[in-house]
Amino acid sequence: MGNEKQVDSGRRGLLVATCAAGGVVGLSATGAFVSTFQPSERAKAAGAPVEVDISTLKPGDMTTAEWRGKPVWILKRTPEMMASLNATQSEVADPDSTKPYTMPLPDYCEKQSRSRKEHEDILIAVGICSHLGCSPSKKFTPGAQPSLPDNWAGGFLCPCHGSTFDLSGRVFKNKPAPQNLDVPRHMYLSDTKIVIGKDEKGEA
Amino acid sequence: MAFVEKKLPADAPVIDKALNWVDARFPLTKLWNDQWGQYYAPKNFNFWYIFGSLAMLVLVIQIVTGIFLVMHYKPDGGMAFASVEYIMREVPWGWLVRYMHSTGASAFFIIIYLHMARALMYGSYRKPRELVWLFGFAIFLCLMAEAFFGYLLPWGQMSYWGAQVIVNLFGAIPVIGPDLSLWIRGDYVVSDATLNRFFSFHVIAIPLVLLGLVVAHLIALHEVGSNNPDGIEIKDNLDADGHPVDGVPSHPYYTFHDIFGVTVFLVLFTAVVFFAPEMGGYFLEANNFVPADSLKTPLHIAPTWYFTPFYSILRATTSDFLYIVQGGIAAYVVLIYLKSSLPSLIKAVIAAIGLVMIVGMLPFGLDAKFWGVVLFGSSVMILAGMPWLDQSPVKSIRYRPNWHKTVMIIFGIAFVTLGYLGVEPPSPIRNLVSQVCAVLYFAFFLLMPWWSAMGTFKPVPKRVTFKPH
Amino acid sequence: MKFIKKMIATLVLLPALALAGEGYPLDHAPDRANNMAALQNGAKLFVNYCLNCHAAASMRYSRLKDIGLTEDQIRGNLLLASDKVGDLMTTRLSVKDAKAWFGAAPPDLSVIARAKASESGTGPDWLYTYLRSYYKDDSRPTGWNNMVFPNVGMPHALWELQGVRGAEFEEVEDEHDHSKKTLEFKKFTTITPGKLTTAEYDSEVGDLVAYLNWMGEPEQGTRKRLGVWVLLWMSMLSLLAWRLNASYWKEVK
Repeated sequence: MGNEKQVDSGRRGLLVATCAAGGVVGLSATGAFVSTFQPSERAKAAGAPVEVDISTLKPGDMTTAEWRGKPVWILKRTPEMMASLNATQSEVADPDSTKPYTMPLPDYCEKQSRSRKEHEDILIAVGICSHLGCSPSKKFTPGAQPSLPDNWAGGFLCPCHGSTFDLSGRVFKNKPAPQNLDVPRHMYLSDTKIVIGKDEKGEA
Repeated sequence: MAFVEKKLPADAPVIDKALNWVDARFPLTKLWNDQWGQYYAPKNFNFWYIFGSLAMLVLVIQIVTGIFLVMHYKPDGGMAFASVEYIMREVPWGWLVRYMHSTGASAFFIIIYLHMARALMYGSYRKPRELVWLFGFAIFLCLMAEAFFGYLLPWGQMSYWGAQVIVNLFGAIPVIGPDLSLWIRGDYVVSDATLNRFFSFHVIAIPLVLLGLVVAHLIALHEVGSNNPDGIEIKDNLDADGHPVDGVPSHPYYTFHDIFGVTVFLVLFTAVVFFAPEMGGYFLEANNFVPADSLKTPLHIAPTWYFTPFYSILRATTSDFLYIVQGGIAAYVVLIYLKSSLPSLIKAVIAAIGLVMIVGMLPFGLDAKFWGVVLFGSSVMILAGMPWLDQSPVKSIRYRPNWHKTVMIIFGIAFVTLGYLGVEPPSPIRNLVSQVCAVLYFAFFLLMPWWSAMGTFKPVPKRVTFKPH
Repeated sequence: MKFIKKMIATLVLLPALALAGEGYPLDHAPDRANNMAALQNGAKLFVNYCLNCHAAASMRYSRLKDIGLTEDQIRGNLLLASDKVGDLMTTRLSVKDAKAWFGAAPPDLSVIARAKASESGTGPDWLYTYLRSYYKDDSRPTGWNNMVFPNVGMPHALWELQGVRGAEFEEVEDEHDHSKKTLEFKKFTTITPGKLTTAEYDSEVGDLVAYLNWMGEPEQGTRKRLGVWVLLWMSMLSLLAWRLNASYWKEVK
């Protein structure tokens, strides 16, 4: 009887040890296989920072660059466009960008203009609506228009479900989209050259 | 019958109640018990009995690694080779998945050959296990097809030209040959069309068939029970509970026995994967690191090592060798008439086939290339005949005359020699040796009805030979 | 049918020719797989001398970080025909031009070190010997020939380093057919010395070949290091499984 108990505890010890060692093998293998899903070097290389030349960008014009497969808008705002941001301050849902979409507003960006102080007029924003991912259209002409309010000062309108954004990419209240447009990390290599996806702290 | 669900006491553990609910609706516990838990297997299994479980393990490894490879592989003539390098370099841990798959392919064949050797030694294909053997034979055919189709996918020089040569073999078939080759390829040469269809066969068509055949193989086995190294039927001797006295339930005894076998296999497997994935050019051939070039044939095309025994027989069939084959067929027909007790009709059919072959091998008939293909195919197909070729009164080699062991060893040597010669470039001496080995190979099977019954057999014990651990 | 006949004829005859090429003995490439400095030097040689014609399109420049180079070093010194560190090592030489100038497109070198393995030696052994076996041959379009790869279409890319050498042959009786004569290689001769001494050149080629070997499978170091631990763990696991199995079979009589 005593012998049986000994065999049992010996066997149980071996069972536990074997299961543990085997479990490590299983978990490691699973881990390796699961990580094959991660972005490969090719995907990461394709997601590298992008340089944009804005020397030919005139006030009121917008150009689009591609970064990580997404459209990134670069808009050189006129003084009127900048002024409209005061008016929209009370009409947007999150004026200070406290609840970001997929990227927090970089700390070197001002709250209202959502741009760097040295280049306050240049808006750099990812043109993807925070509702379900469509790309909004630009609606820079002020005044009443279909789907837009009478006091429209200029901004963006998303064609899919009607969300509207001001000229800083901030979403208006009571719209399907819950958050402001993303502002990617960026820096100015010179007054006319921007790199998107990289700043003083490194690559995004 | 009215639906019955066993009622468990209120304080029974949740897991028991859950299992009870399932069992009333799906034979889960019954399946477990019938197929493994209470499946009584002979207690005297030795080393040779691990290969079935190992084969199943490697099948799982190939399927899982295959699934992950397909996530990144591109089955396109222009992208396939580069996509494999992409997996090796850029996919996190991709190199490990790739090496496991390439090593697994060769491991599969090593295991299967040893698994078949076990059957040969212990008579595991004999009545009542003929169907187990036939399903296994079908699995072997599918495995060879699976490996052949899979080998084209890396789109290296060996992949391309190996496929080209083998598909052209079908061109040897008279009348329909060239059209058949064209149909298989989907193009005039091996091309993107061929790659895509081979991809489909390799990834889904054959794996599904393989899984079905493995299930059939196991069901057939469990229906009649496993053989053992002594070749005696353990079900002939039951205890009071109706269980074979020489049997043990697979769980826990063979659960842990097989787990041990698996761990030893994994030591060898991981040693190869991490330290010698190329295995001197046998598992990953050097020439396959050169992208396929339809305009340049490599100097030395050889099939992968696991096909070489049969390939050697193909290559050995020269026009000179055909005379030997004709002589052999004639002698065999005479033997059938003089020394066999087959019904006259069967004898006549064999004689007719023999005559057709002899005439067909004459210089004005079909050329050596065609007969090479015939012998190549026959060398594989003849395995299916084992249950009927073996006329020995005992199943296991242990109770046969000692000289039967010598016969089997000679067969083994001939098989391995053919394999070795198949990877080497041909030469006059090598050709001669492969012809001798080819004769030995066929003689082993074709003469088996006679030699397997000859000699003084040893008394077969009533109980298995078992040494307590 | 004719095609297969040709195939079989090729299989039978060409090995004889192959043996002629395989007959040239291969030297052993020095093992510098763990020498970061050598690998980095090899990378530099590769970019400067090989990438003008050959591509290594499965190799990303950023992978060079694995042999100790920084992104700035890569960007400043090694980017050829590309702008970004994340790019693949392609070449600007088009296949059409290559065929016109050399007769054949220069092969991609991503896995060349794995492709050249044979019974005569490892892939690196082949490359190491090949790059040191060029000789001047005015009968060839490029003016160069090679003992390891007779009538190769590639010129001696490293000739400035090694210098120009000739090869001396002697007419001897063919050992297979005494009525015929074949040319037997005797030795190399120096025509013009190069920038490096023989020892220096051999070492540079050693570095380049070590780099090609690394580039053929950048993960090989990790694979082997990891393998030691995996194998130890698996061995321990099988030991445990053995004793566990024995603990059950003890009770079987």
